[in-house]
Amino acid sequence: MIKDLFKAENLMFLMQGLAVTLTIAVATILLSIMIGTILGIARHSRNKALSRMSGVYIESVRNVPMLLFILAVRFMTPLNAVVSGIVAMTIFTSAVIAEIVRAGLNSIGQGQWEAAKSQGLNHVTTLVHIVLPQALRNITPALVSQFITVVKDTSFVWAVGTEELTGRAIILMGKHNNPVQVFTLFGLVAAIYFIPNYVLSHMAHWRQRKILH
Amino acid sequence: MIALKGIDKHFGHHHVLKNIHFHVKSGEKVVIIGPSGSGKSTLIRCINLLEKPSSGEVHVDGIEITAHKAPVTKVRQSIGMVFQQFNLYPHKTVLENLTLAPVLVKGVRKEEAEETGMKYLERVGLKDKAHAYPAHLSGGQQQRVAIARALNMHPKIMLFDEPTSALDPEMIQEVLDVMVDLAHDGITMVVVTHEMGFAKQVADRVIFMDEGKIIEEAKPEDFFNHPKNERARLFLSKIFR
Ligand SMILES: Nc1ncnc2c1ncn2[C@@H]1O[C@H](COP(=O)(O)OP(=O)(O)O)[C@@H](O)[C@H]1O
Ligand SMILES: [Mg+2]
Repeated sequence: MIKDLFKAENLMFLMQGLAVTLTIAVATILLSIMIGTILGIARHSRNKALSRMSGVYIESVRNVPMLLFILAVRFMTPLNAVVSGIVAMTIFTSAVIAEIVRAGLNSIGQGQWEAAKSQGLNHVTTLVHIVLPQALRNITPALVSQFITVVKDTSFVWAVGTEELTGRAIILMGKHNNPVQVFTLFGLVAAIYFIPNYVLSHMAHWRQRKILH
Repeated sequence: MIALKGIDKHFGHHHVLKNIHFHVKSGEKVVIIGPSGSGKSTLIRCINLLEKPSSGEVHVDGIEITAHKAPVTKVRQSIGMVFQQFNLYPHKTVLENLTLAPVLVKGVRKEEAEETGMKYLERVGLKDKAHAYPAHLSGGQQQRVAIARALNMHPKIMLFDEPTSALDPEMIQEVLDVMVDLAHDGITMVVVTHEMGFAKQVADRVIFMDEGKIIEEAKPEDFFNHPKNERARLFLSKIFR
């Protein structure tokens, strides 16, 4: 009966689910990096109004369960399940990344700003060429761990009817529902989630090593 | 070349510079000494407006940079600054440290900036470190790179804020040697340092500061041999021990 579960048709079905999972995860990560970086810079800015506004966004979003955003966007907008999932996860993840980026900017000492200033660099050039590259290097581990969280959290989007990996596993469970099959099925799904996350965390290690030498 | 006129600086309630008048002629070498907390760093940082005076005027090369809408970043390009903590860009190689600002703010071609950069690295004795990262250099080497980085902007003025204070004793001389060599170039130099040997060798004038004021100003031999001010005498007796 386990053989039953492992037939090509089922594996194909799960792999298509993985494709949806990765689509949501990659889109969320890319959008959140862009928005989160801008929010993080705004939060770190000396402009009080800008910093305050960004702070309000970050704090209000981070303290609400992500599932709530997923449900809200799905049922309050005409967007389809996948797109609404991406939007909802981006709203949440960009706030988390903003906090990480801000911590990264704070980790760069005043001396770097002063050296650049003394050479006639303006604020934006200093940020782009001196401070952000160093900040990004410092926050790479935190970012990667957030990316891994995003890959895993795509499973919440199942709740609004997306046939991503978890959603499809639940569909298969309808046909293969004895305890051994269910156990095997979820073991398999866990292994599938493990692969992209393993690659991500090793990319981070590789990057760290490269920088140290 | 440099004129500070009636500079006051407050940090909150703390009155750090008190009505400072300070002039430096083109090509002149001035050494500033004084006890810790007397305002030396704040004063030298007013020259390139890293610190904005609470009141008073700063003129550099005929331009009042404290004026509204003054071309501050432009003027800063002609003022090199060397910090106690070096402040090299750690994510850039030595040569990239030297070429970054010339390329980004002066629009110098990269090849040209690299060529002049190598010339300055040779001058500070670090040509072979061009492609190393700062973290792999000793403190003395990092500070010499910092000097070369400032020079690669072709400044008219060089400011040094205790350039050897963070160094292990055996590395101080290599940095001072570079500074003495630089002094022969005719560049305008303002140096905060307690290195008396250096002051005697290159300074045209020594300024003694205490509690936010310039309280003595003299030629180095006069100042070190016959300080007029009681607090200067006390200070010198402490550092010579
Ligand atoms: N950014 C700052 N904020 C508040 N106080 C400062 C700041 N920078 C310097 N000070 C104070 O100003 C005084 C003069 O400092 P500084 O110019 O660094 O002295 P020095 O370089 O002679 O040791 C000190 O009492 C110091 O604590
Ligand atoms: Mg100081």
